[in-house]
Amino acid sequence: MPVAASAIYFLNLRGDVLINRLYRDDVGGNMVDAFRMHIMQTKELGTCPVRQIGGCSFFYMRISNVYIVIVVSSNANVACAFKFVVEAVALFKSYFGGSFDEDAIRNNFVLIYELLDEIMDFGYPQNLSPEILKLYITQEGVRSPFSTKPADKPVPNATLQVTGAVGWRREGLVYKKNEVFLDIVESVNLLMSSKGSVLRCDVTGKILMKCFLSGMPDLKLGLNDKIGLEKESQLKSRPTKSGKTIELDDVTFHQCVNLTRFNSEKTVSFVPPDGEFELMKYRITEGVNLPFRVLPTIKELGRTRMEVNVKVKSVFGAKMFALGVVIKIPVPKQTAKTSFQVTSGRAKYNASIDCLVWKIRKFPGQTEPTLSAEVELISTIAEKKSWTRPPIQMEFQGNMGYINMSQIP
Amino acid sequence: MAPPDQSHRSPSPSQPSGTARAESNGTGNSNSNPKSNPNFDSKGEVSDLKMQLRQLAGSRAQGTDDSKRELFKKVISYMTIGIDVSSVFSEMVMCSATSDIVLKKMCYLYVGNYARYNPDLSLLTINFLQRDCKDEDPMIRGLALRSLCTLRVANLVEYLVGPLGSGLKDGNSYVRMVAAVGVLKLYHISSSTCMDADFPVTLKHLMLNDPDAQVVANCLCALQEIWSLEATTSDEASREREVLLSKPVIYYLLNRIKEFSEWAQCIVLELVSKYVPTDSNEIFDIMNLLEDRLQHANGAVVLATVKVFLQLTLSMTDTHQQGPGKLFIVQGQHQGPLQDPQHYLHPVQVYERIKAPLLTQVSSGSPEQSYAVLSHLHLLVMRAPILFSTDYKHFYCQYNEPFYVKKLKLEMLTAVANESNTYEIVTELCEYAANVDIPMARESIRAVGKIALQQYDVNAIVDRLLQFLEMEKDYVTAETLVLVKDLLRKYPQWSHDCIAVVGNISSKNVQEPKAKAALIWMLGEYAQDMQDAPYVLESLAENWDDEHSAEVRLHLLTAVLKCFLRRPPETQKALGAALAAGLSDFHQDVHDRALFYYRLLQYKVSVAERVANPPKQAVSVFADTQSSEIKDRIFDEFNSLAVVYQKPSYMFTDKEHRGPFAFSEELGNLSIGAESAENIVSAQRVEANDQDLLLSTSEKEESRGPSNNGSAYSAPSYDSSAPLVASHAQSELVSLDQTLPQAPQASSAFDDLLGLGFAVTPAPAASPPPLRLNAKAVLDPNTFQQKWRQLPVSTSQEGSITPQGVAALTTPQALLRHMQGHFIHCIASGGQAPNFKFFFFAQKAEESSTFLVECIINSSSCKAQIKIKADDQGSSHAFVALFQSALSSFGMS
Repeated sequence: MPVAASAIYFLNLRGDVLINRLYRDDVGGNMVDAFRMHIMQTKELGTCPVRQIGGCSFFYMRISNVYIVIVVSSNANVACAFKFVVEAVALFKSYFGGSFDEDAIRNNFVLIYELLDEIMDFGYPQNLSPEILKLYITQEGVRSPFSTKPADKPVPNATLQVTGAVGWRREGLVYKKNEVFLDIVESVNLLMSSKGSVLRCDVTGKILMKCFLSGMPDLKLGLNDKIGLEKESQLKSRPTKSGKTIELDDVTFHQCVNLTRFNSEKTVSFVPPDGEFELMKYRITEGVNLPFRVLPTIKELGRTRMEVNVKVKSVFGAKMFALGVVIKIPVPKQTAKTSFQVTSGRAKYNASIDCLVWKIRKFPGQTEPTLSAEVELISTIAEKKSWTRPPIQMEFQGNMGYINMSQIP
Repeated sequence: MAPPDQSHRSPSPSQPSGTARAESNGTGNSNSNPKSNPNFDSKGEVSDLKMQLRQLAGSRAQGTDDSKRELFKKVISYMTIGIDVSSVFSEMVMCSATSDIVLKKMCYLYVGNYARYNPDLSLLTINFLQRDCKDEDPMIRGLALRSLCTLRVANLVEYLVGPLGSGLKDGNSYVRMVAAVGVLKLYHISSSTCMDADFPVTLKHLMLNDPDAQVVANCLCALQEIWSLEATTSDEASREREVLLSKPVIYYLLNRIKEFSEWAQCIVLELVSKYVPTDSNEIFDIMNLLEDRLQHANGAVVLATVKVFLQLTLSMTDTHQQGPGKLFIVQGQHQGPLQDPQHYLHPVQVYERIKAPLLTQVSSGSPEQSYAVLSHLHLLVMRAPILFSTDYKHFYCQYNEPFYVKKLKLEMLTAVANESNTYEIVTELCEYAANVDIPMARESIRAVGKIALQQYDVNAIVDRLLQFLEMEKDYVTAETLVLVKDLLRKYPQWSHDCIAVVGNISSKNVQEPKAKAALIWMLGEYAQDMQDAPYVLESLAENWDDEHSAEVRLHLLTAVLKCFLRRPPETQKALGAALAAGLSDFHQDVHDRALFYYRLLQYKVSVAERVANPPKQAVSVFADTQSSEIKDRIFDEFNSLAVVYQKPSYMFTDKEHRGPFAFSEELGNLSIGAESAENIVSAQRVEANDQDLLLSTSEKEESRGPSNNGSAYSAPSYDSSAPLVASHAQSELVSLDQTLPQAPQASSAFDDLLGLGFAVTPAPAASPPPLRLNAKAVLDPNTFQQKWRQLPVSTSQEGSITPQGVAALTTPQALLRHMQGHFIHCIASGGQAPNFKFFFFAQKAEESSTFLVECIINSSSCKAQIKIKADDQGSSHAFVALFQSALSSFGMS
């Protein structure tokens, strides 16, 4: 039986129950004590998100300073349960105005009860799309983004839409100005050898949309001809790939996208939900052209001194430029003092994230600024634990998108 | 309270002070749960609230609803933080006689929370809830109906039937949706009421005809649950359950699949996965229809679709011969034949198709979601490693992933390793081994070892492992030693290289028991090649008392003996020290083994040689932990917890599950014959049984370790997924096999635990007795009693027991264990020194002929009175001889 939850608990970091909802009677009310005893108060915490205690299974996730725990006694659908929690949190965030933490929960008990009752009934997830829920949730979030609209204004035929065929959009929306925003966010994971050759590189990208459109518009997003979405089997069977096409390994779409049409015509056609949503996600592993090369050399000189040299090379055309480049270079926790020399931009040491942060506002193509820093460390009496050397992170915006890339030296 | 509340403060003049106090109390307690704080002064607040509510209940002034809302909010906040506000129940109900939906909702919430514990109070609410169920606003109807069903008070069930019936027929889909789940709730409160009202029939009708997809989905959930629960008692219900899986229903749901919400799609797909299509065309149709679901953003939908694909093709072994193009038009061509087609039943194409979406799910979403997906991928990889062998890079660990994801990824890497990718995978793993994260480094080393045991590119891996030993980190050395030991058992040809490096490791740097045991095993096994083995062992034996782990001491004994047999003059001193220390050891097994070696050596050195150091065969395959049947069951439960736990659902949901040896627990209350005053259960069996039940698979492996180590020949058990099992011990036991009545079987953990008994039994090397006994004889206690009464005594004899036996007979259990090694089982035992009484039974291996034995042992005179009754009188003499020999060998180990 694909039940997703028999009960859901929200706990703070100390293990106090903030709020809970029992959907079924097959789990006892004291089950959360078992969770506290066997998971929260032991080293088990965080070692595995699924645990079984006394015939019940616990799925838990930590979101800021709150643990969300789902309890089931049957052979539940784990993937569904976790997805449900993730979606529910997104929903709560949209009601609380972006933050989801202990205080937000304490301030919104009634709202949370209302939401929990609508999004799940007797352990089966119902409707989680914020657009529709808006219609029959009567409480306002304390800092609700929708607070401009009177929350208790009766929506005459709310329930008709609740379960309508287009479950993610309500009818009768009117905007003076019809606007659509499109953002592409890519995160690149890159591993380079010490000589600078790329060992591994993969990209997960997503297209975010913000729609403020009237009525029930049918949108189409044409993808570039260069994008070839081919099944991997075919990819492998082909001897060579032309250098120009970008091969997407896999794509997933928001539920509003007509998938059949994508498969036949290669266009993304959809009726968008109102507001912000993630239209599609994709994955690339082959043929990624990187706009930057980061070449770090980090030398540990004895126990208390370190020398950091980072060279960033932009390999795109000289006439183009990237904006708001931020490079975060991790340094050990016991860093005491740093001194820098940069050929471009500004750098400083940020102790709260243990990183040297180097910012360059405008980064033209075919240039090669460098940063050299000396880092002094506090000598510790305890045997020095070797430093983990976390990856260097880099982000920038450009006309080609917004890319977050990281690298392990 | 929320900031906007300030503007709505109640107009009542008495209020400001009360509210202010409530505010301060509320914030003061915001960080501590008042449940745990008995001093919280809530009484005053609650009665304040009560008063205010009462004032407002009658008022019809403007703005009353707003003040009511604030008060209701406060009541609910109190309720949530654990303050008992049930005393305002009647006021709350009075106040909610309004058309304001916000108030109504809050009131329903309140009532739902307290009704269960105050059934009397809840009667109050029934009226107004029933009335609300007829409200003109569909939302109120729905909400009231939901609240009515969630009261969960058994004696109010009768009031539910009417509103539910009309709810199911309601013109509004929201109400019908609520009513469908309401029926299920009713069923759980009182199944008979639900069945009598014929609700399932109505649900079925709705499911097949309702225009609203969510109503259909909820009906489906309810019906599925109701029919499966009913099916155990009623044939009609199980027929109905079959109907849900019939072609018309499945097709109807599939055709509407795109109307369902993502969650409802999961439920429909789960149902479809149980459908058995009649021919391959149907299969193709369904898969073509569902193919686009694989691109859904919701991972749960993707997994559910994957399950449908896998299950549909499970029965269809010839899909991959259908040729390309038919199944998926966009699909590439056939990947060519696989190396080992028996290992899985699925067509290649299906795997190829589901691979990419699954890999996407791994890399997107929260770590918890990745964990769930990776567990499923792991299951698939175990079935068809070759399919993922080119995608191994997806399973490389990333810096910021949590340990549980990394660990699964390591398991994936181990599983997908083959000739072509081993080098790269091992290179990557070696990077992790150098990691400062200790658990991760350990897991990585284990993964390297597992890959080595899979026989790919062993040469390079051995070199890598040996490099680990030179890293001089304690935990790395420890893990590596255990692996090198296992490698040597499989590939003795590498001994030369390994021993050279291992010889350089100082035993002082190795502290972990498992690693130490491994090192000692190697010292014993390769005493010839290690110059200073006798001296290292000697110093270890001299520091016997510092060694806290019995496992290590057991290995030390064996290693010293092995070393002695090869290099007697040098080891004599160590052997003497070890045996002396072992004989005075408080641990039973260590003591027993020391005594056994001592006597062996006393008897004949050549026999000792045969026992302790027989010619060995390399282990070809380390046994798998799970039977293929279990694996198939897990596979059938794809997309559920079973996959994450790696065990079928009955093992963790069914509380009644007791395993095959349940009956031995009943023996606890058994008394046989009037004369046996104190009958003691066969503790060993119960214990084994308990272990079987309580321990998870992995824990079981560990508990199995020591018992295997009871065998003088086995090395420390391999601690991961491939433990040494009795079947392997058996192959090393060639020299002893003939003396055993029947070869041990590794069919269950239970037998493994008993393996201890027979493995160390030095039965006289005579020709095998003609009588063979059944290793797993079972006899019901009542049958035993009955037979004992009916059968005549066929033999009555006086036997003897050795002084050593008497010495070992400190408790009856010692003898029980011993006799079980000879396949003579105890059904009851009792008595105290010097007189013990036992009832044994045994069965012939080939037929169900039973022997019953009453044995009275007097430990002061070393005599045993034996009475034997047998189904087959003819063979009773052979049995007596067997029994006597078994008894006289007791205490020799």
